[in-house]
Amino acid sequence: MNFFCKPSLLALLVLASFFFSFSLLADNSDTELDTANRAYLEGHYDDSAMLFKEIIATRGYSAPLCFNLGNAEAKAGHPGLAILNYERARYLAPGDPDIDHNLQLARKQAGLDPNSYRWWQILLRTASPIAGYLIVAGLALLILALAGNATVDKTKKPLLRRIFRAIFFVGIPVCLLLGFVELCAIGLTNRIEGVIVTKDANLRLSPFESAESVGTIPEGELVTVEGRHNDYLWIEARNHHFGWIQEKDLEPVIAGSFNAKPSN
Amino acid sequence: MMKILKFRHPELGEWRIKRSSRMSLFAHETLLFLSILALTTTSSLAAATLSQQIDPPEVNLGDQVTVTFTIQNGGSVNVQLPQVDGLQVIGNSNSTNITFNNGSFSSAITQAFALLPARAGDFTIPAFDIHTQDGQTLHAHAMKIHVVGNGSTSSSSTPAPAPAPNPATIPGGPVIIPPGNPPNNPPPDNSGNSADLNGSSTNVPLDANGQPAKVFMIITPKTTDAYVGETIPMRIEFYIRIDVAAQQDSLPTIKGSDFLMNNLSVRPQEDDVSLMDAPYHRETWVTAISAPKNGDFPLQMERDTYWTKPTQNRFSDPFGNLFFNRPSLAHGNIPSNQLIIHVHALPDEGRPANFTGAIGEFKVTATSAPDSVDMGEPVTLHFTVSGEGNFDYVKCPSLAPDPAWKSYVPSSKIDYRDESHTQGVKTFEQAVIPQKNGNLPLPAASFSYFDSTTKHYVTVPVNLPSITVTGTAPTPAPTASDNAADAATTAPAGPKAVDLMPNRVEMGTPQPSLVPVYRQPWFWILQGSLILFLLMGTLFVYLRSRNRPDNFHIERAQNLNSMHQEEDAMSEAVRRNDPEAFFLAARHAVQLKLGTQWRLKPEAITLAEIRTRNASLAETLEPLFNQADEVIYSGMASPGLDLAQWERRVRQEFLQPQFA
Repeated sequence: MNFFCKPSLLALLVLASFFFSFSLLADNSDTELDTANRAYLEGHYDDSAMLFKEIIATRGYSAPLCFNLGNAEAKAGHPGLAILNYERARYLAPGDPDIDHNLQLARKQAGLDPNSYRWWQILLRTASPIAGYLIVAGLALLILALAGNATVDKTKKPLLRRIFRAIFFVGIPVCLLLGFVELCAIGLTNRIEGVIVTKDANLRLSPFESAESVGTIPEGELVTVEGRHNDYLWIEARNHHFGWIQEKDLEPVIAGSFNAKPSN
Repeated sequence: MMKILKFRHPELGEWRIKRSSRMSLFAHETLLFLSILALTTTSSLAAATLSQQIDPPEVNLGDQVTVTFTIQNGGSVNVQLPQVDGLQVIGNSNSTNITFNNGSFSSAITQAFALLPARAGDFTIPAFDIHTQDGQTLHAHAMKIHVVGNGSTSSSSTPAPAPAPNPATIPGGPVIIPPGNPPNNPPPDNSGNSADLNGSSTNVPLDANGQPAKVFMIITPKTTDAYVGETIPMRIEFYIRIDVAAQQDSLPTIKGSDFLMNNLSVRPQEDDVSLMDAPYHRETWVTAISAPKNGDFPLQMERDTYWTKPTQNRFSDPFGNLFFNRPSLAHGNIPSNQLIIHVHALPDEGRPANFTGAIGEFKVTATSAPDSVDMGEPVTLHFTVSGEGNFDYVKCPSLAPDPAWKSYVPSSKIDYRDESHTQGVKTFEQAVIPQKNGNLPLPAASFSYFDSTTKHYVTVPVNLPSITVTGTAPTPAPTASDNAADAATTAPAGPKAVDLMPNRVEMGTPQPSLVPVYRQPWFWILQGSLILFLLMGTLFVYLRSRNRPDNFHIERAQNLNSMHQEEDAMSEAVRRNDPEAFFLAARHAVQLKLGTQWRLKPEAITLAEIRTRNASLAETLEPLFNQADEVIYSGMASPGLDLAQWERRVRQEFLQPQFA
């Protein structure tokens, strides 16, 4: 074996081990998913929910995982947690008909309005990430067109130069329009939202346990968090009810987002 | 510390002296001086008159009666109410209202007595005389009071008098002193600021010198008879004499744990009143209390209070302590009067099954929406419970069990309509889902409460309309399979399927966080960089284009110059009758003209090029170009060729600006 073979062989080994370990990891995660799904099908819904939570804790969030966890929580009789996970799944995969169906069903079964958003809110939510990526692509195209317009000789390639100019002058209003859509979507989706996960959560007038109750919110309702004071969150419910609610009664749709709200 | 001496314009009527807020010592003394002046003046200007009032003339045993005497223009008067067996004076108050109207002072002194009957029956306060400061005698008529014993209700149907009116809103009106039980004695305070109610028949506590206490607190519940859980509206009045007033940093609290009280507002209603000729600053809260268990319980409040206390300097002050007498703050717990609240247990007899503890008087209305639904779709019931009572215990009207409907946990909202939070409107939203189709009546609903006036349970039926339910019965859920993959491919049981869509068998692409892309820094850095790059590029291109020499304009100027030269050459050729030179110059002039217009080199302007760009122009120019070719290539002109006419034609038709 000559000397030149050794580095090649080494590189091959490294690559092989990388792909092997990757395939092992993929197999392992699939096994976990199968186990959780099997527990669900056998009717062990609490166990299934726990297994899905473990997968999410180790692997991260994905629309199918959140969807499956929502199913397990729904079957286990936890409508609030089910709706929470369907909302997360919808967040990751807007427009997925299965997620929409299960979410609407869970909300109906919890005695809530089947639609947590209006159609234009859903449209903006769906458009938000797309608009963001389109803006990046559009800006890159504008730079390309600008560079092309500056470098191409107008006498030699007038058509190409004309195309660059057209891209530039059409691309700017398109990017502005996308930017407007994105800002609207951010304005809507930037709200910190949570789902009520306990039965008969009490809305209070002040952020104290002894404070007067101004009403209750049903489990599974989606609310907007406007502020916090210690363990209490100032929320607005869908029906424009305002009040303080204990943090334990609420789970954020985007995990950890309640911490982003500064204390009042 | 604003003090108001508010004078209305004399032409418009009276001048009235009022104080709005805390008053400095100087302003207070100024007012006192004016008061003395006014009182002195009034007695010499008008005859004294007396009016008297008893409210209400008929009460239940345990409730109070207020007797009010108002003396107009009587100067300083001290009304001594005759003692009546069975009627106990539990408090009194004085207030003075001074007006300066059309050049003359008038005064009204109001003295109110709170009386508590000790037994049922008829009482008569005998007639008596009131002697004014200037020697006049006013005759007070006898007044009768009818007291109804327990078990029957007075004809006034008012179990307890309304909360005391606010003297700030009723000028000259009586200051009502608390009802119910005789005041209990708070512990004596050596500072002389606490109430001394020992043996006194008045509820304005007196200090050791017989003067009104500098600081005291009065609580006035709406009633002293209540049921367990019933909310009792209560007024809390905290008085501090103006000369010792200081900033307070705490709220009154209930002593003991026999009662629960609504949170007090941090900002009470504030005004200034006169009690027994002494000016006081008053803070008033309106709240509500409730008792969690039955029995007789003492009700008393206290407040951690600051008041100013003059400090005598040890050095003698030749200016009458003007410079060295500096006030300092004293501090102590000021208790209120003590009352005994009789708390009764709610009767077991006749208690409805759906009674949730609501006590008071309520009205219930209900609506539902929509009128027709598909099976499985929710119908929202809106209940509104309004009235007066303990809204914490007001729950959603209960629905009778109905297999045709599945009901869900309602949500609720309270809008209070008064400060004590005993009057309000509580709304409920409850979803119900039909379990079969057809014209279904909504489940029967009812609401029960204990009427504290009639002392009976009341059940109010709530009428709800029928709902039209369309659609078919839910299809059965898909059967669970042992194989996850099978489950994943199990199709939903049709468009009306009511079971969940099956689990996914692919994990998807997990991501560590749900934080959206627009909240991630890289996204904004990337967008910002691209925008910056684009702006810089645009700026660069613009600057470069500005610095580039303008070849077009130079070329255009040169072409124009050449065109003029060719026109001159045309004229010269006509003069020399040289057709070849003429047509050479004419054609070149036209080429220069069109080349400048189309940004082409003049040599590139041929008849074919002109035809591709402008066919009608080519048709016009064709004779010129043909004649030029003929003359140039043959070297001779046709006989009869009129060069002068060609020159005019070229100049007028081909080289004029409109031609271009």
